[in-house]
Amino acid sequence: MANNIDIGIRAVCEFLGAASTPDRIQAGCNSENYLVLKDHEFEPAVSHLAANKFVLISLFCIEGFSDRAAHSLFYVFERRNGILVLVNDVNETTLSVASIFPSASWFERECRDGFGIEFDGAFDTRRLFLHESYPENFHPLKKSFKNEPLFTKETINPVDEYQFRTVTGEGVYQVPVGPVHAGIIEPGHFRFSVIGEIIFNLEIRMFYKHRGIEKLSEGKSPHDCIRITEAVSGDESVANATAFCLAVERISGISIPERAWYLRTIMLELERICSHLGDLAGMLVDVAFPLGASQFSVLREECFRQCDCQTGSRFQRGIICIGGLEKDIPGGTINDLLLFIRQLRKRCRIGLKIVLSTTSVIDRFATTGVIPGTLLRPLNITGPVARASGGKVDVRLDHPYGIYEKYVPKRQRLQDGDVLSRFTIKASEIMDSLDLIEQLIADIPAGDIQSEAQVQDGFALSLVESARGQNLCFVWIKDGAIERYKVRTASFCNWLAIEHAVQGNIIPDFPVINKSMNLSYAGTDL
Amino acid sequence: MVNALTCLLKKKVTEDYPVHDENLEAIGLKIKADINAVFGRSLAIRELDTGSDNATEIEINNLNNPFYDVERFGITFVASPRHADVLMVTGAITHNMATAARKTYDAMPSPKFVVAVGDDACNGGIYAGTYAVLGGAEKIFPVDLKIPGNPPAPAAILAGILALMKRAKDMKRREP
Repeated sequence: MANNIDIGIRAVCEFLGAASTPDRIQAGCNSENYLVLKDHEFEPAVSHLAANKFVLISLFCIEGFSDRAAHSLFYVFERRNGILVLVNDVNETTLSVASIFPSASWFERECRDGFGIEFDGAFDTRRLFLHESYPENFHPLKKSFKNEPLFTKETINPVDEYQFRTVTGEGVYQVPVGPVHAGIIEPGHFRFSVIGEIIFNLEIRMFYKHRGIEKLSEGKSPHDCIRITEAVSGDESVANATAFCLAVERISGISIPERAWYLRTIMLELERICSHLGDLAGMLVDVAFPLGASQFSVLREECFRQCDCQTGSRFQRGIICIGGLEKDIPGGTINDLLLFIRQLRKRCRIGLKIVLSTTSVIDRFATTGVIPGTLLRPLNITGPVARASGGKVDVRLDHPYGIYEKYVPKRQRLQDGDVLSRFTIKASEIMDSLDLIEQLIADIPAGDIQSEAQVQDGFALSLVESARGQNLCFVWIKDGAIERYKVRTASFCNWLAIEHAVQGNIIPDFPVINKSMNLSYAGTDL
Repeated sequence: MVNALTCLLKKKVTEDYPVHDENLEAIGLKIKADINAVFGRSLAIRELDTGSDNATEIEINNLNNPFYDVERFGITFVASPRHADVLMVTGAITHNMATAARKTYDAMPSPKFVVAVGDDACNGGIYAGTYAVLGGAEKIFPVDLKIPGNPPAPAAILAGILALMKRAKDMKRREP
């Protein structure tokens, strides 16, 4: 039985009866706990978890994991600092939990598309990442499907087209937007139902960029997979590569040198700053305040250039590897970063002063796109978006990895949940990350940056706080190759929040609401 | 009225241009001369993401930041394919985007150019030969120019646009 097991998780075991239950809990390589359920236990366990305020943070399917059934469904629950993974072995059908945990709806549809698993009682059984052009009964993540070019339908019959929810009533009309948008932005479809100028309902349709990331990684060596993890979402390259390496390192019991962790953390925080600066600029563009926007876009470009100087890539790609880092960053270069950070802080403050003293900006930001705090748990909203709506979640604090136990970031929290709160949270997080980097540079030890990495077989879950929030990664290595790589980015969860955030707002405010949440399409579509 | 007067008379909110990059200026001026000669002073680009990892979008967006500010060279990113001379494609063509991509291309008036930006758009990149993509942009469009990179930096994209201008100029010269 795992040591220091969370009280909530212990309660679940007790609830499931039998004094022997705690023994069935297996501690994972990370602090997660696995509980393999017997058939009759699934339903009561799920309702018990719901009653005890557990949040369903991920649900994914693995084929051939257990001898008992063809598929194993991993339900990942979080409660404060505890992670409980319920493993439900199923063949073809199981019960849907989407009406208890709304965040499960997309997860279940994803499992259905990927593996052909049916969820009884699901309220939404439309296909998710496989659009109309894919053949019926096609399930790409099944092991029996070999990853090779596919012939798809070029023309779609109108009857086979995706059915959006119908919203009817006097004066309700539809505004379809996308997948190709007006700006330089990724593709996705938004179906607005509007009364006058007010948005009554929004339904989003994503996965236009489904590139088969998970299938692509299968059978590859963990080392070759890093390039794939960096392609999950360009501006989260470091976060996703770190999450993947963290999982592999935990499986194989590799401890990486201290210096490498310092550098990784600096890179993670630098990535957060780049992303947040882009958001601040973007939000200001969307409320037509170019004076403020250019302040932050200049700083962002300088950040990108600084990343290039530090790592040789503007997106800090190709430097993180299993066991540490591919190459060291010389002391002189790090000193340049320190000077840059100090200067950046000053200039950020100047920019913020201009913005926050401009009434026309505040007028557009305040009370726009409110995400109520009550939605956080059911939808598993995460990251700065959650923290702007009164949430407390931050992986760096809840499940510290690397050296975040020693360098604890401030827990930022605001209550209003509007665009202004998200702007303010992101601005404060930039300042915190700058402080953190400065502290890290002051304390960075000398030494190796890579330890010998002998990859072993096994599985592990890892969580990393990317700029957008909690990124979850599950890796199963079998015979030295990746058998299953599951990544769930923060955007995958936060996308559903936007359907709620825009209600009652006007369509012209949609871009600023969207930008304030900064959702990655690539990271969702995989 | 008083307000308008103070706005006119008070010190302007402005600051120095962040950097002066000679190379960039040189490329920019060449592009500008070519655009003036071939495209009547304005080159309209429509960006189309068919499955990138969003890094390429970020770099294309960066072309509009004050460091590059490509609009001063006559390059504009337009909202509709109907207004575009050039289609800038990023990412491998996914099955889910193929229809929308074809429609976007068909909506453009001729003559039109297609530029593939980034490794994935050039030849499918890491996705080549997998179930979810058709391959690089050339699988569904006639591609005039490829700008490789993962992702290409803004300066590289600008250099690519200059190469495209040469091609367009040659085409114009050959016209009867």
